[in-house]
Order: sequence, then C-alpha cells, then structure tokens
Amino acid sequence: MAGLLEHSGYDEERLKRAAEQLPCREVQAGMLLSLMGEPHQYCYPSIFIYGHRASGKSHVINVLMKELELPHATLSCVECVSVALLFEQVLRSFFGCDVASLLPRSPSLTDFVRIYRQQSPARQTRYIVMEKAELLRDADANLLPALLRLQELVEDNVTVILLSEIVWDTFRPNTGCFEPLLLHFPDYSKVELQQILSQDRHPSYSAELYSFYVSILLGVFYSVCRDLRELRHLAALNFSKFCEPLAEGKVKETDTHKLWKNIEPHLKKAMQTVYLREVSSLQWEQMQQMEEETGALKGLSAHTHVELPFYSKFLLIAAYLASYNPARTDKRFFLKHHGKIKKTNFLKKNEKTTNHLLGPKPFPLDRLLAIFYSVVDGRVAPTASIFSQISSLVTLQLLAQVSHDDQLDSPKYKCAVSLEFICNISRTVNFDIMKYLYDFL
Amino acid sequence: TPRHATPSIPNRLLPTRQPANVLEEARIRLHVSAVPESLPCREQEFQDIYSFVESKILDGTGGSGTSVIFFFFFILLNDCTRSLQKLTGQKATADHAAALLEKRFSNPAPRKETTVLLVDELDLLWTRKQNVMYNLFDWPSRRHARLVVLAIANTMDLPERIMINRVASRLGLTRMSFQPYTFKQLQQIITSRLNKVKAFEEDALQLVSRKVAALSGDARRCLDICRRATEICEHSAADPSAAGLVAMSHVMEALNEMFSSAYITAIKCASLQEQLFLRAVIAEFRRLGLEEATFQQVLVQHQALCRVEGLQPIGVSESLAVCQRLGACRLLLLEPSRLGVLQRVRLNVSQDDVLYALKAD
Repeated sequence: MAGLLEHSGYDEERLKRAAEQLPCREVQAGMLLSLMGEPHQYCYPSIFIYGHRASGKSHVINVLMKELELPHATLSCVECVSVALLFEQVLRSFFGCDVASLLPRSPSLTDFVRIYRQQSPARQTRYIVMEKAELLRDADANLLPALLRLQELVEDNVTVILLSEIVWDTFRPNTGCFEPLLLHFPDYSKVELQQILSQDRHPSYSAELYSFYVSILLGVFYSVCRDLRELRHLAALNFSKFCEPLAEGKVKETDTHKLWKNIEPHLKKAMQTVYLREVSSLQWEQMQQMEEETGALKGLSAHTHVELPFYSKFLLIAAYLASYNPARTDKRFFLKHHGKIKKTNFLKKNEKTTNHLLGPKPFPLDRLLAIFYSVVDGRVAPTASIFSQISSLVTLQLLAQVSHDDQLDSPKYKCAVSLEFICNISRTVNFDIMKYLYDFL
Repeated sequence: TPRHATPSIPNRLLPTRQPANVLEEARIRLHVSAVPESLPCREQEFQDIYSFVESKILDGTGGSGTSVIFFFFFILLNDCTRSLQKLTGQKATADHAAALLEKRFSNPAPRKETTVLLVDELDLLWTRKQNVMYNLFDWPSRRHARLVVLAIANTMDLPERIMINRVASRLGLTRMSFQPYTFKQLQQIITSRLNKVKAFEEDALQLVSRKVAALSGDARRCLDICRRATEICEHSAADPSAAGLVAMSHVMEALNEMFSSAYITAIKCASLQEQLFLRAVIAEFRRLGLEEATFQQVLVQHQALCRVEGLQPIGVSESLAVCQRLGACRLLLLEPSRLGVLQRVRLNVSQDDVLYALKAD
C-alpha cells in the first residue's frame, strides 16, 4: 500500500517515508497533499479536519509536516489559555524568539497581525495547526473568524489547519465567517485496526502469532471500544499473559486453540477492571507477574465505605428518605398514630419504582430534621453540632445544596449517594431502610 | 516629537479642484459640512439662545465698566480632564481635574471671564452615581462661577427619565425644544443652500422635502438625497458636461435607494434552499401558532418542502448551514450555534414581508 503518496512538489524519498508511517490513511494524506499544492503555491486559507478520537488527525498532519520539513506551528488550544500564548507560540515557531518578544504584554489580534506583517514574506506555505479547536469557540468572539481568514489579514502564504472531534456546524459564529474546507477522517474499520495493531509486534515472536493475538483482542473488545490508543494499550498490557504458555513450553505457536482458551477469560476480566481503570495498569502488570488470581484486588469503585459520625449517618439516612420518598407519604412512615390511611389511595400504582429512576428530589431543611428526629431513637437536641454536620456533609459532597440564593432561610438539599451506599450505612446503625422506602414497599 | 506640538495632518500636494459644472457646484453647496452663515428656519431659536446667553454674560460682568471685552470660552465637554485642558491648558488626571474645576468655580476671583460650556450628547455622560451630570449643573448655580451651560440631548424628557432628583432640580426650567422641519422649511433650506445655482427642478425639490418631512424631518437626510440625485443625474446623462437639471425621476431613484428595505431584496436574491428554509420557518410558525421554533422542527418542514418541490431532501448539516447564513444576514435571529439542532429560530422581518418577497417572483 505504501508509495501511494505522490506529488510533484515534494521529494520522492520523503513522501515514501511519510507514506510508510501512515497506514490506512493514504486517501486522507493524499487529499491533504493535493490541497497543500507545491510548497510555493498558495494553499486554501483554512482547513477544518474532524473525526473521532484516535482517527489519526494529528498524526497525519504531524508526519506530513515533519517528513516534508514544512514550516509549521503546532499548538494545542488547551495549552493556550490566553490568546497571548497562542500568538507568542505562532510567532516563535515561525520567526524565532526575538520576534515573539516584540508582542506587548496583553496583545490584541491587531498587534499579532501587525508584527506578523513586519516579517519577511514566506517563500513556502506556512502552516498553523491547532489541535482541540473546539476551545476556540470559548475564546474572544473575533479570534476564530480572524484565524479562518488569516491569509487575507497578514497577506502571506499561511494556512490554518483546525483539528477537532466536533462537526463544523456548531463552530460557525452567529455573524458568519469565511467557510473553511471541511475534511472528514472516518473511523478505522476492524480490518484496518487489525492491520495497524499488528505492526507493533514483539521481536521474539513471529508476526503471525502477534496478528493472531490482535484478532483475539479485537474479538473481545471491538464491540465496546474502537479507540486505537485504548486498544493498543490493552494489547501491550496483556501480551505477556498470552505468551506465558509459550514461554513455559506448554504449547506450540501453532496450537491456536489452546492459546485462545488461555487468554480469553483473562481478557474478559480485563474489560471489567483495567479498561474501566478500576485497577491501574501498573497493578495489573504486577498481578500478572505475581501469578495472582486476577481481579482479586479491590478496584477503585469498591472503596465505597466511609466512616461517619453516628448522627451524620442518621442525617444522611434522613436525607436519603427525604429525597426519594414523596412528601405525602411521610405521615404514614414516620408518625406513630397516623390514623387510618387507605392503602389504595396511598399506593398509586403508576408512581411505583419511578423515584429511583428519576433521581433525587430536593427537600427543605425542616423536612430533613423532622425525619431525622423520628428516625433517631432517643432525644437529640438541635445543637450547633447537628447543623454543622449537615453543612460538612455538603462539603463532603454526600449532600448537595440546591438553592444557592440564601444560606440561612430554609435552604434546600439533595441527597447525592447511591442506594448501595446508604444500605451499607444503615446496616451499621441497625436501621432497616428498605422498610421506609416508598419505592420498595 | 515636540511636547506641545499642534496636531496636524499632512497637507495635500495638489489644490482641490474647482467645480466644473452646475451639478458639481450644487453638490458642494449641498454638502452636510458646508454650514451656511445664517441658518434659515431657525431664526426664532437663534434669537432665544442669543438673548439668553447675552443676558447671562452681561449679568456676570455687570458693573465692571461699559467697555468690557467679553472673554468667553466655548467648551465642548467630553470629560473633566479635557475641559480643564480647554480652560487653563493644564493636564491632570480625572479626579484631580475635577477637584481643580471645583475650586475654580466655587472660589471668588475679581476678574474672571464668563465661560459658556456647550455639552453635546448629554445622555452619554450618564453614570450610575451621576456625579458628572450633577457637577455640571451644580457649578453654574454657584455665585462665583460665571458659567453658562448649554446642554444638547436627543430626547425632550431626558431629565425626568434618567436623572435623579438632585440633578434634575438643578437643571432649571429654561428648556427649549427644536421641532423637526416641515416640508416648507426643508425646501427653504435647500433653496437657500443652492443660492441661485439652477440645478434642480422645482417639483423635484418639493418631492424630496415632502418625503423627508413625512419620515423624519432630518435636514441631513434631505441634503444627502439631493446630492445623490445630482450624482444619478450626472451618470444618466450621456455627456457629463451637459447633464441638465435634476428631474423628478432622478430624485425618485435616489429616494428608492435610500429608503427601500434591504431585507426584501435580500430574500428575493437568496438561493433556492434559503427561500425554502424561510418558507419552512413560516409554515412551522403557522403550525405551532408561535413566533419561535427550534431548528429541528423547522428542518422537518424544510425536508417536506424539498420533497414537494421535487428536490433532493436536504441534509441536516446543509440545512443548518442555510439557517446560519440567513442568521448571519440578520434575516433570522438565532441562538449560539453550539446548541446545534436545538437552537431556536425567530424571524427578524415580518412574515408578510417574507411572503411578499417570496411571492413577487
């Protein structure tokens, strides 16, 4: 496939080297090359490249820029928190530090354009590559329209290439702008992924073995993940486990079925642990070396046990009840002698089990305290410590304050913990929360 | 550069050309910046202001002899710093300048000239505490100030609307309103400007002044239209040196150029899909009974209209591009584009205008 890149303006050797580094992106790279034209020709003022994560946008641009040795400035809009940094980086990579220091302290777009125009005109097209261009929308309103027609503003052979995962439609400013050329990078297909992943094979094993390993890996992970970077990371992590039987001499390389039998449950476990970052990659590797039972380690999300003071636990329970029970059922749950309430109008059938799906409802402070007093046995004085525990629960993000307008006058809260968490807590204080939850009646 | 240099612009190398024919002569005379010595149709107002200022100046300097030469400064006020600079030639920061001015106007001094202060665009001096306005109207009421303030604003009820009480009370009652010109006055202004240069037909002048008087009574607008009409007349004639008089038709053309709405022309010249989109917007408004719809609601109508017209059904991106172009021309009012298909669409022109423009072809 290599050698497809052809363009009269550039050196054949370099094009060939670039093509070798761009597997499965020949079409896009060729399109870009033909857009760039020969080095001294004017390119389109702005090109907008979009595609999913890890579809090779930056890679293609970087390889072309590096291999063909084009003058370029690559900058990430995440780093450029202010326009000053952006202008400075562009000027520095085009003209050197001296010119960049000419910028005033808080430069405007006019300063940038003025200083740029003072420099010598380009002998070949200069490229400004901006990654994560979606952040440009949050910058000044004039920045994106100006960058799109920078060629016109500075009267120089310069092209701005914007890279983003978001489509152009949500970029367009309301006042209109120069329309860039849109270029889409499609996702890699399964075959292409296999081809790319098979390239980084282990030197001590044959290429066929590695590509067989990659196909097993894709068979497990392809349905949930098409991100090349993630897949490559997983492939590197689990390869040693795959080779274990070979190293021990139990099976031969040709015995594919046994290898598959060995690795598949391991990969399935990896999907639940290391892919979700429950277990860090380092821990995972250590586990493989120690020959431990993988997955025996507790993941990050299993550490949901929090030590709380006694009253804080009850406050949290009361908050959970207030959030997930409708207020009209409080009388039935928490009053001793509530009189007769007919069960039929108490339980509205269509309302059942919806509260836990709809999420917590806000409740006022008085309701929280009322439920708290009826849940706690024994008399509790409403001391300052009770109220400070409520506000520290908010700080711990176990409760969330909903209305921010007034702190003192009947603030509203929401309970922000899961059912599992609250069950654990109520078990420690011997409180059967299921009996009090309207949804589980 | 020297410290106290007089600001200047480079001189032109060639002198300006003298007018070659009648129309050019008329154009120079009708230029807005060519202010005549005496203003026609404002004699009464001129007299009122003149007597008011004269009485104040004579009061202020009364008793100091008969042959007093009145020094009076004429200040266009932008801010305190600038007015101090005008008065004494000092430069100072805003706070310091305010203090200096305060001192100047409150302390007695034996031989102080009367200052006439002319404040244009008074409403721009509005601040939240209104201390600039307060000072401005407080100074002339001091005993030793010898200050006459003339303020100019666009609205008659400005003191009642935006000024707080203590400012409004200092404004005094000498208020004067300039009525817009009637068509006769406008006609008189133009004829006095032209001053016997025969460039216009009588009817043409009357048409201009009647049209302008009916809309705004703006003399500048009137002069602009006349100048544009002379240009049209010059262009339409085969030989520019012998163009003849400006006729009714030329004036009509100029009036159309300046008064007709650009929106309808823009809709008429819009592309097919843009016109379809506008029709879809109106159809969706009719269906909802509201003056607002989200883009995705309009898109359904747009695609249906495409099918009715026998066109390829339009894609979401293309339709969004059409919508945003119309928004950039201000035919539609849109929310920020990052909301995507959820952005709400409103018309910036009336539905009747859109329908008229779409039907006319």
